[in-house]
Amino acid sequence: MNNTIKVERAIHNITQAKLAEMIGVSRQTINAMELNKYVPSTVLALKISKIFKKNVNEIFFLEKED
Amino acid sequence: MKSRFLFSHKYKPLGWFLFLIGLLFGIFLMINDFDYFNLEIKVFPLIGESGVFSVNQSLEWSTNNITDELVAIFIIIGGLLVSFSKTKDEDEYISKIRMESLIWATYANYGVLILAILLVFDVSFFSVLIYNMFTVLLFFIVRFHYVLYKSKKVIEDE
Repeated sequence: MNNTIKVERAIHNITQAKLAEMIGVSRQTINAMELNKYVPSTVLALKISKIFKKNVNEIFFLEKED
Repeated sequence: MKSRFLFSHKYKPLGWFLFLIGLLFGIFLMINDFDYFNLEIKVFPLIGESGVFSVNQSLEWSTNNITDELVAIFIIIGGLLVSFSKTKDEDEYISKIRMESLIWATYANYGVLILAILLVFDVSFFSVLIYNMFTVLLFFIVRFHYVLYKSKKVIEDE
């Protein structure tokens, strides 16, 4: 799975630390998601989409191998 | 995040204290052949013994130096608290690291034990069994904190 969290953060001018604080996770989690090292739970994906005011599938995409 | 079976973060310092004190005295006792402090008290053995090392009847009061028992319990309780107290910012990603480290530690522990079974014999193997009581916890603690440290470092380097 791929995501556009880093792009969305840039658009909204939010740091990793700030986003982590807003959705109540550690900074490592944001970083690991941006590096595609971690697939978040549905709850976390929904929280992120709420912050960026977009649908979940506009931020998270399936890849061929999924 | 709700996580079952984990202790609150506030028990972590207590865990480190017990674990390190236990390890320190444990190593000290191993070097000195378990014969250093004398804490003889009355004990109630569930299983009796009539060997070269000691003689006592099962389910009858006898005496035993409980230094090694205390040290073992310190290491185990301390190790459990260090391992399974939440980190300050425990979340789903850290839980994943936790689970992977636990699997890793179990493999490492039994890998070392298999090697020891094949290569260590007689009385020396008894020492392996003593160490093996604590190595799962030790391997887990080292691996879990190393991966946490590494993922924190990646962020700082950015």
